[in-house]
Amino acid sequence: MNTIKLNNVLPHVFSQRTDLKSEVWKHELSFEKGQLYLVEAMSGTGKSTLCSYILGYRQDFSGQLTFDDKDTQQFSVSNWVDIRKKHISHLFQELRLFSELTAMENVQIKNRLTDFKTEKQINEWFEMLDIADKTNTKIGRMSFGQQQRVALIRALVQPFDFLFADEPISHLDDHNSSIMGEIMMKEAHKQGAGVIITSIGKHMQLNYDKTFRL
Amino acid sequence: MDLVWKLLRQHISLSQLVGFFFANLFGMWVVMLGIQFYKDVIPVFNQEDSFINANYLVLSKHITTVGTLSGHGNSFSEYEIKDIEKQPFAKRAAPFTTSQYKVNAAMSMSGATPFQTDMFFEAVPDSFVDTPKEAWTYKPGETEVPIIMPRTYIALYNFGFAQSRGLPKVSDGLVGLINMQIYINANGQHAQFKGKILGFSNRINTILVPKAFIDWSNEKFEPGKTEDPSRVIVEVHTPTDEGIAKYMQKKGYDVEDNKLDAGKATYFLKVIISLVMLVGLLVSILSFYILMLSIYLLVQKNSTKLENLLLIGYSPQHVSKPYQMLTLGMNAAVLIFAFILLLVCRNYYLGMIELIFPQVHTQTLLPAILSGLSIFSLVSIINSLAIRKKILKIWYRKD
Repeated sequence: MNTIKLNNVLPHVFSQRTDLKSEVWKHELSFEKGQLYLVEAMSGTGKSTLCSYILGYRQDFSGQLTFDDKDTQQFSVSNWVDIRKKHISHLFQELRLFSELTAMENVQIKNRLTDFKTEKQINEWFEMLDIADKTNTKIGRMSFGQQQRVALIRALVQPFDFLFADEPISHLDDHNSSIMGEIMMKEAHKQGAGVIITSIGKHMQLNYDKTFRL
Repeated sequence: MDLVWKLLRQHISLSQLVGFFFANLFGMWVVMLGIQFYKDVIPVFNQEDSFINANYLVLSKHITTVGTLSGHGNSFSEYEIKDIEKQPFAKRAAPFTTSQYKVNAAMSMSGATPFQTDMFFEAVPDSFVDTPKEAWTYKPGETEVPIIMPRTYIALYNFGFAQSRGLPKVSDGLVGLINMQIYINANGQHAQFKGKILGFSNRINTILVPKAFIDWSNEKFEPGKTEDPSRVIVEVHTPTDEGIAKYMQKKGYDVEDNKLDAGKATYFLKVIISLVMLVGLLVSILSFYILMLSIYLLVQKNSTKLENLLLIGYSPQHVSKPYQMLTLGMNAAVLIFAFILLLVCRNYYLGMIELIFPQVHTQTLLPAILSGLSIFSLVSIINSLAIRKKILKIWYRKD
């Protein structure tokens, strides 16, 4: 998959609004593979909504969202499963980790599905992100910042054409967020993938190819 | 351990599953037992008669007080027999020929005190009797006579005579061991014959001997004496034909048919077993609801986990599987335990049946197995589909 294109996309909830000053909604724009994007947003402008459209778990919009010119409204369940498994990786703002499982199990539950990374590579990432001592700790007992790092590792144990990171560093210090940015970009380059990062203020210091205001 | 299972088994309620298990076990067991019991017991009522074809009916005239006192006979004339034969339901008809002399017979087994009674013989044309031709013949001068006894006679012997004297009971398999002596006394002549009992008949309440023997012996012991037959055997096309009953009513004939009583008994047996099975089925259906509710509750409680699994790339099929396997396993366990319970019970009641009706053959377990398997498959398929549907609801965020 090379291009994600939004053609006049507008969430139904915004259809009555006249004061919309967005560079995304009701515009034509595309995300290309290999590029790095920043989507800046104020809260309430529909950032999570955009994520859910691209992940296919909400479709309450007008206009057209296409992947390589294929209309996503026509996708079947198995199309979406395939996209989530092999083409678009998501780093959720709300993380969506399993609190009953340990940090390592949370990563493995994804890696066993994709069979993509070795245990050595995963351990290396835990090491780099300074949470190696937490691999066997239940997620419920970790801080949100630590959980964010586990969620990043889980987002990377799959093949992807695009990585969609929804406020990835909201609870991280500058040191950890730069390591995270580094790991993320290295893996994205390795896979030749596009990266879309959203932020409502603090964002990773990276060389963005393009910035949109939502 | 599979991580998905580790996640999704959270909130499984053991008590609900145990409740389902025993409820469904009971329901399935009752259904299987009902079907198997019916299958095992019905031959007792429907014992096939190997000597007299089911399409043969035996007719007699009503015996009334007036008829008896006035000396009005209850025998059939030649004309009446011809008339029966002309009816559309009848293929052919023939009178019973009765022995005109006194017969006394003694039956015993392995040298025990004999059971002695006066009796009589009757015969129908040999073609009405379904035995091999060689066995059902008599040539004048022979001392051995083939005989078919009514089953009621043997019941009389078994439960009335043998029981009180502690003698062995007679079953079909032991027919050959019965020692039967026949004494004929008429007009100053004495003769002794050996009876060879070929078997027992449910369908004809008389002591049958070959036609040739009756013809010869009547001529020899009571020459010139004849009597109109009081019974007629008729071969019909279908015994259930309505025309038969109408004709009998019009003419005032009786049909000797012990099948009538068996029919009533089977009918009530059917009604009772159907009721029992209905209760079993109802319990099964209710337990199925327990399982469904339990699984729905489980899915509801784990809906966030299920949604997250779907969002990180698991297919609805994949996340449905643990719950489908759970129900499949439960249902299979129920099936196996119900079957074992059935075997235990069946063993018990078969012992009783064999004691009372030794001649009944054991039936196959196939009906119970098939009904068990069908309930199992039906319930499992519906379970699987319902779980799949529930998971897809989470996918489409309809809950």
